[in-house]
Amino acid sequence: MIETQLLVRFTPLDWMWTVLFIVLMTLCGVIFYRLGKQSESEFFLAGRGLPWWLPAVSIYATHTATDTPMWIGGTIYKWGLRGIWYPFFVGWCAVSAFVSTRIFRRSLAMSQAEWQNLRYSGLPAELLRGWLAGWQTFMNMFVVAWVSAAMGKVCFYLFGWPPWFGITFFTSICAVYVLAAGYWGVIMSDFQQGVIAFFVITLVSVWGIVEAGGPLAILAKLDALGQGWRANPFHFDGLWGLDANHFYVMDFVTLLVMATLGGLGMGNFIDWYPEAQRIQSARSVRDASYSIWAGGLATVFRNSFWAVSILAFFVMFPAIDAEAQYEMGWFRIGFEHMPSGLLGMFFAGIIAIHLSTIASHLNLGALYATRDLYHHYVNPRATEAQLVRAGRWNTLAILLGAFLLGVFMQSITSWLIFALWLQAAGIWVPSILQVVWWRFNAWAYLASWIANLVMSWLVVWVLPALGVLPELPNWVNFWLLAGLVALVYVPVTFLTAPDERDHLVRYYVMARPLGWWGPVRAEAVRRGLVTPAGDLRLEDAR
Amino acid sequence: MSLFRRDWTPIEAEEWTAHDLWASIFSVLAYLLTAVGVAGALLFQVWGFAATVAGVACIVLMIRIIDPKLRAISVEFETKEAHYLERLDRATRWEDQDGR
Repeated sequence: MIETQLLVRFTPLDWMWTVLFIVLMTLCGVIFYRLGKQSESEFFLAGRGLPWWLPAVSIYATHTATDTPMWIGGTIYKWGLRGIWYPFFVGWCAVSAFVSTRIFRRSLAMSQAEWQNLRYSGLPAELLRGWLAGWQTFMNMFVVAWVSAAMGKVCFYLFGWPPWFGITFFTSICAVYVLAAGYWGVIMSDFQQGVIAFFVITLVSVWGIVEAGGPLAILAKLDALGQGWRANPFHFDGLWGLDANHFYVMDFVTLLVMATLGGLGMGNFIDWYPEAQRIQSARSVRDASYSIWAGGLATVFRNSFWAVSILAFFVMFPAIDAEAQYEMGWFRIGFEHMPSGLLGMFFAGIIAIHLSTIASHLNLGALYATRDLYHHYVNPRATEAQLVRAGRWNTLAILLGAFLLGVFMQSITSWLIFALWLQAAGIWVPSILQVVWWRFNAWAYLASWIANLVMSWLVVWVLPALGVLPELPNWVNFWLLAGLVALVYVPVTFLTAPDERDHLVRYYVMARPLGWWGPVRAEAVRRGLVTPAGDLRLEDAR
Repeated sequence: MSLFRRDWTPIEAEEWTAHDLWASIFSVLAYLLTAVGVAGALLFQVWGFAATVAGVACIVLMIRIIDPKLRAISVEFETKEAHYLERLDRATRWEDQDGR
């Protein structure tokens, strides 16, 4: 917990902005109550009929949480502008838009867990679906908890409110429209919140740059401090090395490879799961592709604004050692330097950022609990009314679980680097293999998940704490985990049988995956289910 | 085959081609140039403005390459979507393909 506080004094105008925005955001979600309650598909996917720009804004809004300026701020303050490559993991959207997004949208799976059931067959596929559904229900609760913890931290910092109040109050407001209108409420309020967040982030960041004396003054002050390298996104401490306090070329290369090639797979990053929901809510394959692409690009754009504003913060406050303090840099720019009247708008923007993320993850966790656990395993004959009711109960359960978890979380940056990056390391390759290679099966993917969960904790936390392993730089951790987990799933792949041929053919015809699908494709052609484009041209020539 | 081809038949569009590869490459370049370019431009650096302009050029190229193909894929797939959704619902309810 941070040790210092900045007690902000709001004028009536500031409170007016805050209350007005909260009412608008809540109403915007609640008025879609009638649409949301129609069916499971409406409650979780808005009927699969959205134009690309709605899910795109939602992707941007969901990627922008209360903790995001903290961890990007913390990263840039520590590493300078080269730290911008940490949040560049969103680069997976650049490739995914034209590869895995297309494949996933064609599968029509409501969730990633359901996709496992379409891609794989038999008992292991069911195990995998159950595992992923349970894991995602928990993970979404966890995300709601850490984002709420970040809000608790901001409210304590600003107003001195006890953390539990900041954690529960705004998240509860959000739960009102998620419970009422489901994904319709999420997507429509996300649109409004995304626009507000974009405006506020730009305004406060530019304000910070101006307060620091402007762009050229920031560069001059960095030089005067002997920190000119901080303005160079390509400043590295050598090609490679093992010092965790250095940023090497290998860090950059690893982040770039992980982000871009990760777009070939599904489930490589925790962000895939909310985006998968947006992909399926788009009205066509084309809309799905553009929504992912545009949402990702807007996020990259936003990161750059935050990064430069943190450079501005650095030249104003260059000697902060405690991570828990410097990760609040962007908030300090806004609350210490903006005039009364605008403070309320800034706080409303923070609330918008917070609600958009919370809403998405409440609804997403409920999707996994409802579609993949309740509907598929508990009550397969459920009516649409029962499914919507189950969706609401699951939303409530995730909300309450998140409150309990939220009060235990302390430092945001360390948690996020672990959860976003290192915890993805072991399943990064398997998540690609399951998309591009027909022979990769459910046992192998399940094995990689379990091995990764065990090894990521061992390599990153337990073994260094016991002195068995030194504290390694992130890029070494990533490749080490990728290699260790491969020692498990590669033998499992070849020691277990491939999935049923009929099942694979059905999946291939529907999703048309990229990669090594030769035997499955040949079978589909033999059965007359796929017409190779080459054959078509040959017929035209005749 | 032209990189800026506009006349895709549905069956041809369903195949993976060089267009998908080039669209992905320009897409990644657009992201990279935006990340670096916007940060540089906010610091009033010439390289920042240049990178931002190059990023926009990559976006234009990407859309020209991939949009006609994506339109063709979408049209083709939407004709089959209702049938696929019905099959998916049966699988969730543990019913056979013929609805039993």
